[in-house]
Amino acid sequence: MKRFRFTVVSALLPLVACALVFVPSCAREQQASSPKPKVIVIGFDGMDPRLCKRLMDAGQLPNLDRMRQAGGFKPLGTTIPPQSPVAWASFITGANPGVHGIFDFIHRDPTKQCAPYYAAAETTEGEGGWEVGEHKIPLTFWPFNHEPPKTLLRRGGTPFWDYLDNAGVPVWIYDIPANYPPSPSKHGHVHCLAGMGVPDLLGGYGTYQFFSEDTLVSKSEGGGLRTPLVFSGDRATIRLVGPENTVLQHPTATHVELEVFRHPTDAAARIDWQGRTVVLNEGEWSDWQRVEFEMEMPQFLPNRSVPGICRFYLQEVRPNFRLYVTPINIDPTDPAGQKISEPKDFVTEIAEELGPFPTAGFQEDHKALSNRVFDDAEYKRQADYVLTERLSLHDFAFDRYDDGLLFFYFSSTDVQAHMFWWDSDEKHPVRSAEDAKKYNQVIIDLYRQMDGVVGEIVDRYGDDATILVMSDHGFCNFRRQFNVNTWLRENGYVKPDDCRSLINPARRPLVDWRQTRAYGFGLNGLYINLQGREKFGIVAEADRDTLLDEISDKLLAVRDPVDGQPVVATVYRSDEVYSGPLASTAPDLIIGYHRGYRASWSTTLGNVSKSVLSDNKSAWSADHCIAAEQVPGVIFSNKPIRKLDPSLIDVAPTILESLGVAPPSSMEGRSLFSSDAEASAKY
Amino acid sequence: MERLNTILIGIADAVLWCRDAVVSLAVMVGHALDAIAEPVLSPLVAFVNPILTSIVDGVFAALAPLPVWCGLTLFSVLAGLLSLGVFRLCSNQVAISRALDDIKANLLALKLYKDELRVTFRCQYRIAGAIARLQWHMFRPVAVMLLPMLPLLGQLGVRYQWRPLHPGEQTQIDMIVDESAEGQGLGGLQVTLEADPAVTVETPAVPGDGKLVWRIHADRTGRHVLKFHVGDAIVEKELVVSDGFARVSPTRAKTDWTTQLLQPVEPALPETGSVRSIHIDYPSVDSWVYGSDYWIVHLFVVSMLVALVFRPIFGVRF
Repeated sequence: MKRFRFTVVSALLPLVACALVFVPSCAREQQASSPKPKVIVIGFDGMDPRLCKRLMDAGQLPNLDRMRQAGGFKPLGTTIPPQSPVAWASFITGANPGVHGIFDFIHRDPTKQCAPYYAAAETTEGEGGWEVGEHKIPLTFWPFNHEPPKTLLRRGGTPFWDYLDNAGVPVWIYDIPANYPPSPSKHGHVHCLAGMGVPDLLGGYGTYQFFSEDTLVSKSEGGGLRTPLVFSGDRATIRLVGPENTVLQHPTATHVELEVFRHPTDAAARIDWQGRTVVLNEGEWSDWQRVEFEMEMPQFLPNRSVPGICRFYLQEVRPNFRLYVTPINIDPTDPAGQKISEPKDFVTEIAEELGPFPTAGFQEDHKALSNRVFDDAEYKRQADYVLTERLSLHDFAFDRYDDGLLFFYFSSTDVQAHMFWWDSDEKHPVRSAEDAKKYNQVIIDLYRQMDGVVGEIVDRYGDDATILVMSDHGFCNFRRQFNVNTWLRENGYVKPDDCRSLINPARRPLVDWRQTRAYGFGLNGLYINLQGREKFGIVAEADRDTLLDEISDKLLAVRDPVDGQPVVATVYRSDEVYSGPLASTAPDLIIGYHRGYRASWSTTLGNVSKSVLSDNKSAWSADHCIAAEQVPGVIFSNKPIRKLDPSLIDVAPTILESLGVAPPSSMEGRSLFSSDAEASAKY
Repeated sequence: MERLNTILIGIADAVLWCRDAVVSLAVMVGHALDAIAEPVLSPLVAFVNPILTSIVDGVFAALAPLPVWCGLTLFSVLAGLLSLGVFRLCSNQVAISRALDDIKANLLALKLYKDELRVTFRCQYRIAGAIARLQWHMFRPVAVMLLPMLPLLGQLGVRYQWRPLHPGEQTQIDMIVDESAEGQGLGGLQVTLEADPAVTVETPAVPGDGKLVWRIHADRTGRHVLKFHVGDAIVEKELVVSDGFARVSPTRAKTDWTTQLLQPVEPALPETGSVRSIHIDYPSVDSWVYGSDYWIVHLFVVSMLVALVFRPIFGVRF
C-alpha cells in the first residue's frame, strides 16, 4: 500500500511540475495577445498653464509641447477655492466640494463655535481605558471594548478608483493628497501610498527641530521647535522631541537623548543615540536615520517603542553650533500602527526596495525657510533632496506597473513655487531683485526637469497608454495680504472693536460671539455666526441672505489704499456654487482674491491684526488661494483633448472611460476626449 | 475595581521581581563561567581560527564558480551530517527511543480513551515526563554539537551576514579605546588613519565617550589593510571593497573568546595597546535565501532536512 502511494505520488509530481511551469506561461501568452488598457496620470501640484505656455513657446518644454502640438493641452478649471486638498478631493471624486466636504485646508467645528481641525482628516480621542497609576491603557477586547484614539479620513464621496477596484482593474497610486488614512480597497486591486495629509510623528504636518548655541530659550515657532544647545567641553546633550505618550492619563511628549560631540579643532561633529552614530562635516546632511521613542508603560508591561526616521543637517560647528533635524517621519519599514498605505504593508514593500524614505505629506521644509532656520540655498538643497527621493519612488512605481491605472504625484512644483516663484519686476517680499530673478529661475529649471520626466514616460509607453499630465491649480505672486477678520471688525461684523483674535487666548481681548455676526476662518472662508448652527450663533436664518449680500458687495468694493487696485475679484456664495450632501458644512462665502493678494497669515487661524491690508513679508512669496478663474491648473495628454472647457472633475470620468469602466452618474464631469456635443449625446 | 487593580499590580510586581532575580542569577553564573573559561578558550580559539578560516576559504574558493548560496547549502548539509554523527556517538539512543515510544504510546492512548478523564490526565502527565526525559537525553549530544557548530557559525557569519563595501559606498569606522586612554583625554592620544589609495577619509575622527568615529568612502576594490597610528603604535584593520561575494571582518577586538569565535578572521588586538576594538560598519547581505539573518534559517532548515533524511542510515532517533 505504501509502495503504491509512493508510486502514485512519484507519477503525479512531474505532472504538477509541468502544470506549474506551463500554466502561467500560457496565461502570459494569452495576456500578451490582448493588451490591457493603461492609463498614466502624473499630478504636478501647482503647475501653472501660463508659465507652461510661455516655456513651451520658448522651446524649453519640448515634451509637453509635443502633446500641445497634438491637441493635448488646455488650462484645467480648478475648484472653488483653488486649494490643494479641495482640488485633489474633487479630482478623486469627480465632483464639486459639496460632495466630498473639503472646502479649505482648515475647517471649524460650529458646535464648539470655532474649534479648528484639518479638513481632510481628524484624530478622535480614545474612550475608556484601564487606569493603572499614571497610565490609562485601552483594553480593546471584550468585555472592555475601549476605543483607542483613531485617525479618520473626512473626505466624503466615492473615490474613482473604487469603481476600478470593482471592475478588477489594477490601480497604483503614489502620494495622492486628501486620502489619509487611505480609503480601503474592497477587492484588493488598489495599491495606494497616501501623500499630503500624512502627519509626522509629532502629529502635525511637519515640525522640524533646531538646536543652536545662540538660542536662549526653547520655543515653538510655527512648524518648528527651536532649542538651546550648551556644550560642556566638546560634548552636548540634546533631546529630540517625539510623539506624545497617549497611554498616560496626562499625555506628555516622549524624548530621545542625543549626544553631540564636536571635533576639538575641525568643522565636524558626531551624533550618537540608541547605539547609532552619524559623523558629519559642516554643511552635510545625513541619510535617513531611525530613532525609537519609548512609550513608558506600567512597570509590569514592557514599554512600547514608536519608531520614526529623520535626517540631520549640521549647519555650523563654530562659532555658533547649529543642528537641524527634519520632521520625524513615520518609519515606512515599521509604521507602528499608522496606516499610511493601502494595503497597510504596501509602504513596507516600497521601503524594502528603496530603503527608508520620507512619508510625511509635506516634505519640503518651507517652514524652516520662513523661520530663517534655512537660507534660500539651504532650502533649495533640501527641496532638491525631496525631489530626488520622489524620483526614486517614481522609478520604483514605473518598474512595477504593467497595466491599469498609475497615478504619481509631485509636490515640488507647488512647494518650490510657493518659496521661489516671482514673475514680476515688483519688489519681492524678502529678496533683492537679483535674487528674486535667480530663484524664479529655479522654478523654470524645475519645469524643464519635469518635462524630461514626462518625456521619458511618453517615450516608454507611446500610444500604448493614455497619458495625462495635470495640475490642481496654477500660481501667482503673493504680494499683499488681506486680513478678513480685521476688515469684518472695521465694518462692525466682529465685536468688540478692539478684538484681537477669535480663538487664541494669548491674544486678548477675544471675540464676543454674542455680538459678532460674521467671521473669517481658513484661507478663503467666511462664516455667518448663524443661530442654530454655531454654538453662540446670533444671526437668524431669515437675515442670512441679506447679510451675505451686504458683505459680498462690501468685499468687492475693497480697494488697496496703496494703489487703488481691487483686492477681491469674486465672492462666491456656497449655496450657489456647491451642491451635494456635505454642501451645508461649507463656509457661507468663499472669497476669491485678485492675483497678488491672499488672506493674511494671521486671519487663517482667526487672528485680527492691526491693518486690513499689509505687505506679505514672508519667504512664502507666491500662492494660489485666490479666485479660481485666475489660477486654473493644466492638463496635457498624448490624446487630443476635445472638451472645450475642461475642469478637474472631468479627469476621473476620463480615467474610468479610458479603462473601460462607465463613470457613475454621481460624477459631475465628462470625459476630456469627448467633444461637448458627443458628451451631451452620451449622457 | 481599585482593589482588583491593587491585587493585579501586586501580582505583576511579584512576577517582575522573580524575573529580575532569575536574570541576575543567570548573569552572575554566566560571568563566573566566562571567567573560568576565558584563559582556556581564548588561546584555543586563537589557535583554531586561522586553520579553520584557511579551510573554509579553500572550500569557498573551490565553489567560486557556483552561485553564492551553494557554499551555504554545502555547509548546511555537512552540519546536518555532523549532527547525526554526534548524535550517534554521544546520545543514549536506548533512552531516547524509550522516551519517544512513551510519547507515541500515550498519544495513542489519548486518542483511544478520550472519554476517560483519568486516563487522559495520566497520559498527559506521562507525555510531559517523557518530553522532559527526552530533553535531558538530548542535552549531551547538543552540547557536544555546539563545539564544532559555533566556529562554523562564525565562519559563515563573516560571509553571509555582511557584505563587502561596494566601490563608491560610504561607511563608518568606530575605534573604541581603553578606559585608561579615555581617562587621559582622547585629545592627548594622537590617533590618525593613514592615507590609503583604497579609501577616502571623508571626516576627521570625531572623539567622544571613549570612541573615535571616521566616515570613509571606498574607492578601490580589493582586500586592504587600514593603518591606524595610535600614539607610537600602529594598529591594522582589514577592509574589503568588492562588488562580489567575499568574507569580511567587521570587528577586530582584544582577546575575548566569544568575539573571537564570531569574528574569526583577524587576530586579536594586542592586549597592551590602548585600542579595545575597531569596527567597520559593513552593509548587510540582502537576500531572502542567504542574506543577513536568513542564512541562519537556511542553515537550520537544510541541516534539519538532511538530518531527517539520513536518520535511518545513521540509525539515530531523536
